[in-house]
Amino acid sequence: MNFIFIRLNNLKKFLALSLALAKAEFKLRNEGSYLGIFWYLLNPILTFSLLLLIFSKQLGSEITDYPLYLLTGIVTFNLFSQITTQATKVIKTNRWLIKSVKFPPESLVSGVTLTGLFSHLFEVFLLFILAMAFQNNLTGFIFYPFLLLLFCIFIYGLSLILAALSVHFADLENIWIFFSRLVWFATPIFYTIDHQTILFKLNLFNPLYYFITLFRQVIIYNQIPASFLAAGAISYTLISLVIGQIIFNRLKPKFAEKI
Amino acid sequence: MPSLTVNNLTKTFKIGALKRQGVLANLISLISGRETKKVFTALKNISFQTSAGEFLGLIGDNGAGKSTLLRCLAGIYPADSGEIKTFGPVVSLIELNDGFKSRLSAKDNLFLCGALLGLTKKEIKERLDEIINFAELQNFVDTKIYQFSGGMVERLAFSLAIFAQPKILLLDELFNAVDLSFQAKALAKLKTMVQSGITIILASHDLETIKTCCDKIIWLKAGTIFKIGQPKEIIEPYQAQK
Repeated sequence: MNFIFIRLNNLKKFLALSLALAKAEFKLRNEGSYLGIFWYLLNPILTFSLLLLIFSKQLGSEITDYPLYLLTGIVTFNLFSQITTQATKVIKTNRWLIKSVKFPPESLVSGVTLTGLFSHLFEVFLLFILAMAFQNNLTGFIFYPFLLLLFCIFIYGLSLILAALSVHFADLENIWIFFSRLVWFATPIFYTIDHQTILFKLNLFNPLYYFITLFRQVIIYNQIPASFLAAGAISYTLISLVIGQIIFNRLKPKFAEKI
Repeated sequence: MPSLTVNNLTKTFKIGALKRQGVLANLISLISGRETKKVFTALKNISFQTSAGEFLGLIGDNGAGKSTLLRCLAGIYPADSGEIKTFGPVVSLIELNDGFKSRLSAKDNLFLCGALLGLTKKEIKERLDEIINFAELQNFVDTKIYQFSGGMVERLAFSLAIFAQPKILLLDELFNAVDLSFQAKALAKLKTMVQSGITIILASHDLETIKTCCDKIIWLKAGTIFKIGQPKEIIEPYQAQK
């Protein structure tokens, strides 16, 4: 009983620290900015408008509610890209904290995840407005938090791997930016894929495919998630979390020496 | 009553590659734990003990191992071998001022670094006025750190560390840019803390401070304990060898 109490207390402290780091990061990002949170909306609005303008007649003509389909893909990818890219820098940018104070360095990664989540909520608001404008049934949004939680755990696990390896491989930050761009094109964000194609088979190995399709099924089309998609998303989340914890725990004792 | 015991502590660092290797070979050696680098022994078979309410000084030339020892005691660096036992919470003030986020205000930094030191939001709120008042920064609570002088940043970091209520306080080169009146106030505060049973370990080149504050001194030389004893037994020979 005492053991459980200690574990819960540690978890509470860890979450409080992660939140403090996320708040600080959020303040730093908006520091000195006159437009503040508007910048969080500008990126998805511009990307969305541009892609809609170019593709709505060709790629989007056969997709039901293409604007919603497109925006769901963009905001989901943005969350993934933003957090993982920050994760490749987070240990190095906090090198003096790591060398000064003993604290769980995982909290830096969870802090980055929470910061990404804060800005994602503004983008979700945009999605909500668009869904209302399209007179879409909004009940699917009730399930959104559960899927989002699963997605964030997946990203957190992957970010643990990236953060830990970035200490040892300086090139990882640039490689990841390039890789993210490839994932952007390989994932059906602004197009759809037929089940018989090679691209579909490739996407079975792409965790983002599962999450984006799940989000679309639930939010736009108000469908019960397909079991293979749900199973895929849960499996990738577990794999990412377990491997992330193993690699991070193995490498973290040396962080203070290596940075 | 012991507050800290250190037995046969050894710490090495891998420095400089013995041979250049590719990314894949680097990855394999990283995951397997086999590194192909030169080994530098920073601390070798360090053993000592401190009691509750003891003020211990660490002296030695640059590279003697003072900061490394403090980081090992704080748990920032893992020991290669040996054992460190601490009895109570440890707070380290090792270049903490460099850890502050320069674009955040003093108050925001206190909440962030307080959380890193293990304080809850409620505890930081309760102690905020005390910390700010001790640092004499009442008029700069919402000022961003990059607008502070070096001395003001050091005062803020020091105040945070002492109000984090440690049982063991680790200090590395106390002040560089703080005025004499604050130094006197800070040293008086440290002495009060020692009297209340807190153990303080101070690494410094300021022999005058070490001499007046410390009950015991460890003289580190090339990563080993060269001498350990009372200030009068250590300071004079240390000065004589310089």
